[in-house]
Formats: sequence, structure tokens, C-alpha cells
Amino acid sequence: MQPTSLMKEEFLKKWQMGLQIYRPLIDNTSVSERRKAIKLSADVAMASLRRGTTCWSRALIQKTATENNFLVRQMLSGIKAETLINKKLPKVMCHRKIVRRSKKNFMRRKSRSVSEEVAAKARKLIKRKTQGLRNVVPGGEFMNNDVLLIQETLDYIVSLQTQVNVMRSIVDAAEAGIERTACYLEKLKFTIED
Amino acid sequence: MDLTGAGPCREPPGLESLHLGGGGGDGGFTALLELPPTQAVELLHFTDPSPQAPAAAVAGIGLDVSPPPPQLLHGYGALTFPSNSALLERAARFSVIANGNVSGETTTTTTSSERVKTEPCETDSSQRLSPPNNRCGKRKEVDKKVKSSAKKKSKSSEENEKLPYVHVRARRGQATDSHSLAERARREKINARMKLLQELVPGCDKIQGTALVLDEIINHVQSLQRQVEMLSMRLAAVNPRIDFNLDTILASENGSLMDGSFNGTAMHLPWPHQVTETEQSFHHRQLQQPPPPQQQWPYDGLSQPAWGREEDQSHGNEHNSLMVGSENLMVGSSSLHPNQVKMEM
Repeated sequence: MQPTSLMKEEFLKKWQMGLQIYRPLIDNTSVSERRKAIKLSADVAMASLRRGTTCWSRALIQKTATENNFLVRQMLSGIKAETLINKKLPKVMCHRKIVRRSKKNFMRRKSRSVSEEVAAKARKLIKRKTQGLRNVVPGGEFMNNDVLLIQETLDYIVSLQTQVNVMRSIVDAAEAGIERTACYLEKLKFTIED
Repeated sequence: MDLTGAGPCREPPGLESLHLGGGGGDGGFTALLELPPTQAVELLHFTDPSPQAPAAAVAGIGLDVSPPPPQLLHGYGALTFPSNSALLERAARFSVIANGNVSGETTTTTTSSERVKTEPCETDSSQRLSPPNNRCGKRKEVDKKVKSSAKKKSKSSEENEKLPYVHVRARRGQATDSHSLAERARREKINARMKLLQELVPGCDKIQGTALVLDEIINHVQSLQRQVEMLSMRLAAVNPRIDFNLDTILASENGSLMDGSFNGTAMHLPWPHQVTETEQSFHHRQLQQPPPPQQQWPYDGLSQPAWGREEDQSHGNEHNSLMVGSENLMVGSSSLHPNQVKMEM
């Protein structure tokens, strides 16, 4: 499914709300400050679209809450802010290196045929890729279930697409607007100077 | 469920008994058991050519062209007897172990996109499986299936609430206990979702193999995340302060977001009502005024309020210094109050 215009609208509204919060708060003079503020509000807006139903959105909200708790609380406007922020995600993090090492030792004792080896290698490769996917998707470490992981990835990709589309259109409009007014001002300058 | 008029010389005589076996295939296993093994194998051989032309076969031709019910057997699957929709069903998925489910589904045509999507994957896997299964005695497997079908029924019936159908297939020689069945169901689910992912991510359709597809997905997600970073950086650079004119951009952008509709009055947003109205008035005035005609209206939303803002801040002499003021506004901070803007040129 592709991002719908309804989703884009909602995202824009929420993002705007987040940016409004920043307006009186800090005097964001440095570019990096502003960038961080923009990105954080955009992330929380994207995550709040899902209303805490998906794992990645919860993880994302928690992650941004560590950076700017106030923003998150305001943006979620207390509907589920408390529960989302305070709820601890299940720490099901097993140390994969240790597990891998023990598996390797165990596997060494088994006698393997060629086809089995190939299959085992393929499986290992896929496991590595899924681990990579877990690293990319927020909250992925907590998804031991592969089905869940893929489902979350699907949802995450769609939301990311929405975010990118909206941000891109805003940025294009802003940049073009500035460029046009600059050109226009140049023209005015010339006409007045004449 | 019309086996009448089946293909010439293709329908083994034993099929008659299958007909009588019952609709949903509940009697199917027992019917199959009555067949001599050779005939069963023969039946099963018909399965192979079928997947290629499922839809066409079923479309209007009926069962005459395509091989009869054995398709659905695979030596173990439910004996869903061929109706037209059943064949189409079979094209989509073969071995539904829970017989009752299949009979329920044969009535529905493959209209749901989910079914169609998993069609190719299912045909592939079944095609792979059917040849090895053909050669062996089916009875053993069928026996196993009879035993496990009861177990499976409850499981699949509950899974049916979530998914329209369940594909679980016990492979030959593999255990048919609930564990492996569950694992198989899980694998099917994963494959179905991977298909969806492949469609979502551009360029993934042509890739074969899970590992490469996963690679593509990871790359796609990473690139999207990087794009977000880049865009936020650009946005931060464009507007010196965060409190940039999002209000006006919102008004203008909503048009473009909603398929480029110029008329902002079509917006459904509750809160920027007054914003949109002032925007509209801006645009109207903008159109009547001499400024460069090639300006498109979304961008006017940006320029006009800048001038308007100038009005707010320095009442009186802005007309002369409008240009300079606008320059300052563009460069300096900009907090828009679109409600208060008055365009007086």
C-alpha cells in the first residue's frame, strides 16, 4: 500500500504541532539544533500516526523521549503518552554472538552432507540478513518473531514513505519560494535603481 | 462439484467413487484409499501440467480440459472435488488440510488480492512437491493425513479467522505432528508477507531468493532514513528559525498534497481555517497585482505573507522600504501572523 493523502495530511498536522512546540521553547539559532528539532518532531509525528499499535512506533517514541521528553509528551497530548513512554519494551535481547558461538560448537559435532551444508549456509545468510533488518527497523531487537518483524517492516516502510513525501514537498515549496522571492527582489532592485 | 464431462480418457474409473465421496472432501480420503495405488499415482500425475493454466481452465471451460480432482490430492491434501472455483482455488493453493475450510472457500472466487498474490508462490512450491510425491505409495501419507487432519482442523479453523485460508502441507517423510505443522504455517505466513514486501519495495519483484530480497529491503529502509535526514537538514537551512511559515505552507501544500487541487477551500483540516481564508485572499490579491506572473500560487503563499509580515512589524514606512524589509524578512526570522496580514501595496 502506498501512502494515502489522508496519512500525509495527518502527518503534516502532527508535525506542525511539534514544530509549534519548539517555537517558543528554544532560540534555535544553530542549524544543527533546528535540524534535530525538525527531525524529532517529524519522527514523533510519524510514530504517533500509528497510535501505539505497532512495535516500531512505540520504540521510536521511546527513543525520542530519551532525547526530548517534553516534546513527546506535548505531541502525544497525553492520550497515551504516559503509557507509551513509561512502558518498558520487553528486553528480550539475547547476546547473539554468544549464541552463535555455542551453535557453531554444537554444529561441529554433527556430520553433514554437502546439500545440508549448502542449506545451512543459506539459512545462516538469511539469519544474518534478518539481523541486519532488525538493526535498521526501530525496536527490531525485540522482535524475535520473524513474522512480526516483516509485518513491522512493511508498516515502517509505508510510514517512512509518507514522511519523506510530505517533507520533500514542504522543502521544495520552501526552497522554491525563497528562490522566487529572491529573484523577484532582484528584479525589483533593478527596476528601482533605473 | 461437477465431474461430469471430465476429459476424455483421463478420468480413471475410480473417480466415480470420488464423486460420491462427498463435497468438501471429507469422504475424500477414504475414497482415495479405495483406489488402487496405480490409479492414485495416475491421478496425481495429472497435477503437474495443471498449474500452468489454472485460470484459463477454470474460467469457463470447466473441468473438461484440466485434470480432475487429483490436483487437490497431492497424495495427502484435502480431496476437494473439482468445481470450477475449486480448480481456481487449486491454482492458488493446493493443499488445504482442513477439508472443511476448502469447501467453504471453493465457493468464493479468487478475488481477494491476497490470494492472487500468494498464487505464484504456492504454485511453485506445489509444483516442486508434487513430482516427488507422485512416485511413492500414497497410502501411508494419506493415513497420516487422516490422523492429523483432525488435529489440524482446529488449528486451521482458528487461523482462518485471521487469514482467508491456510496452507499447511505435510511433506513426505516429515513428521505430521502439530509442531512441524505449526512451523509450516509460520513459514507460509512469512512467505506471504515477504511477497507483500517485495511489491512494496521497488525493484524487488525480479529478485529471487530471500537473502537478496532482504538486502534490498534493508537498503530501501536505510535510504529512506537518510532521505529524512537530508530533508530535515535542508529544511533547517532554508528557514532560519523553526517557526517558519508552516501555516502558510500548510495551506498551500495541502493543495498539492491533495492531488494538486488549487482551491484550498476544499481542505478538511479543522484548525487552520482562518489561515486558509487569509491565504485565499492573498492569492486573489496576488493575482490582481503586477508581481511576476509566472509565480505559481503555492509559492505565493510564501512571498506574500513575508510582505505582510513586514507590514506588521513596521507600520508606516514600509511601503518605501518594502523591498528592503522583505529582504530582511527572507533572511532573518519570520514569524508569520497570517491573520493580521494586510496587503497594501
